[in-house]
Amino acid sequence: MATHNLIIGGGPAATNALETIREFDADAAITLVCDEPAHSRMALPYWLSGKIPAQHTHTADDAYFKKLGVQARIGERVAKVDPATNSVTLSGGDKLDFDNLLIATGSAPMSPPIPGKDLPGVQPLWSLADTQSVLEATTGMERPRVVLVGAGFIGFIVLNAMFKRQWDLAVVERESQVLPRMLDATAAAGAEDYLTSLGVGIHTGTTVQAIKDGGSGKSVELDNGTVLPADIVILATGIRPNLDLIDGSGIETDEGILVNDRMQTNFPNIYAGGDMAQGPDLYADKPAIHAIQTTAVDHGRVAGANMAGRQDVRYPGSLLMNIADVCGLQCASFGYWDDPNAETMAINNTAQHIYRKLLWTGDQLTGALFTGDAKDVGMLTDIGMVKGVLQTGTPLGVWKEFLRENPFDIRRAYIGAGVAQKLVGTTLTGRPARPRQFHFGGAKPVASVGQAHAAFMGTKPG
Amino acid sequence: MVKMLNIVPEKCTGCMQCELACSWVQTGSFQPSRSLIRVNVFDEEASYAPYTCLQCDEAWCMTACPVNAIGIDDATGCKVVSESLCVGCHLCTIACPFGTVFTTPHTDTATKCNLCGGQPACVTTCPTDAIVFTESNQAGDWFGPWAQKVDTNHLSAIGGEQSAN
Repeated sequence: MATHNLIIGGGPAATNALETIREFDADAAITLVCDEPAHSRMALPYWLSGKIPAQHTHTADDAYFKKLGVQARIGERVAKVDPATNSVTLSGGDKLDFDNLLIATGSAPMSPPIPGKDLPGVQPLWSLADTQSVLEATTGMERPRVVLVGAGFIGFIVLNAMFKRQWDLAVVERESQVLPRMLDATAAAGAEDYLTSLGVGIHTGTTVQAIKDGGSGKSVELDNGTVLPADIVILATGIRPNLDLIDGSGIETDEGILVNDRMQTNFPNIYAGGDMAQGPDLYADKPAIHAIQTTAVDHGRVAGANMAGRQDVRYPGSLLMNIADVCGLQCASFGYWDDPNAETMAINNTAQHIYRKLLWTGDQLTGALFTGDAKDVGMLTDIGMVKGVLQTGTPLGVWKEFLRENPFDIRRAYIGAGVAQKLVGTTLTGRPARPRQFHFGGAKPVASVGQAHAAFMGTKPG
Repeated sequence: MVKMLNIVPEKCTGCMQCELACSWVQTGSFQPSRSLIRVNVFDEEASYAPYTCLQCDEAWCMTACPVNAIGIDDATGCKVVSESLCVGCHLCTIACPFGTVFTTPHTDTATKCNLCGGQPACVTTCPTDAIVFTESNQAGDWFGPWAQKVDTNHLSAIGGEQSAN
């Protein structure tokens, strides 16, 4: 009988796992249970900004599940996982047996203990429903006033979307700087200065005491005495792993579900991946939760390959990296960017908000921070090369001193140290990656060239 | 076997015609800063080498994309960005460890080498055959010996020691 693989979740870890299982095992039975339609949470802000329609955020539909032979139970929720009987119980009461299980339930926004947090118009902006509700609440408003509580990565992706809509924005952050998990104090000061120049209100080092509704609008009262008027209050004070379903199951957890380099939990046929999985990290000495897209994708692919019987697919570890367009200021961080013991090189152009910081242990780059104008094509062209250096752990030798003098010339150090050579031919699952099979509107990417190409080729002899 | 761009750095004179041609056919304007192929210039030792997407097996850009906007072109086998599907999250530009995925500023979408749909303009324009389009999987091999030579030359120029890679 075919192996039954059960996947809980509909985010990137889940969809990558199901495609990988199918790639390696044509006969496996696959069931997916998810309480929301499978979609990309990362794409939601682009729906909010008006760049794409709601459907564009989806990463699967009925036809796709049918094509891949997946029994999809969308809109249902797993209430309980029972490793002893290799089964799960759905909230509706149904029981499903499995041979292999992948838990990819992601994370959920935390609800801060603020009086007034349950008022209408006060909400997180995390799910499809949250996005829909903000769009509905602001329909017809000329210039909605929004107070964003929490200036972390997720909050700022949302901020960028609302900025594109030209809404009236203010940010409140408990810590002394914006993006505390992504930027150092210097880079954050630049970002705050930049946002202030755009008219975005920045309130750091202060907390919300209460949110009140006076009828004609809400008011957000800060502990420093400031009162901010608001039509909408977005709560983005952090996320926590969705782990309720494994309560009492015996599945080992720390901050999240602990997994090995095959994405297995302490039960070998139960895997975990994505935002609630705490797995190998390239630059930390203990397993970490990264809660980022690239880690979720890797987790899903490694888990999928192993669930399909490829027990030799092992994960070298994820690399923490984030990139956020802060209303036109591109901010990126890589690796162990906040290592207090690292040797650092930094260059800071405060007038143009250009900042670049490289962190070293010996001659090895271990982290990096960048900010710069998102529209400056020269500014960020070598950014992926930094990732390559970190991912391969290539010692840069004498190029370290070269970079001290030329921090914007990573390209030469990258080539000189032979980084690309180490990457060519490496794969995560032992075979070339395949494109995922769902595309919004059926629009499969195709290589196309424009009229300029025809004109150019026409000038060249045969 | 699919055709790939193969680089012969010893033949590159640093004329930058590939950057001009690429920016013209890809963007309709002559802007080397928007070229998808970039010539690495090592002036001290008069060494140059074009560098662009290797169409690598792991395709970090493609797997990273949250909306499946990067796929594999059936005709050429290259990894290709759909401009209409790309939402502009920039994740592929940091996920690609080769640094060969870029952002088009006015559309805020990702862009990368698509082999010009099978007729790469950089190959056509290169006057010294430093870029060739051939049916081999040798792409990437040039990095090794050439990079080592550049490294050694650069080091002797500045009086340093060989790096330990």
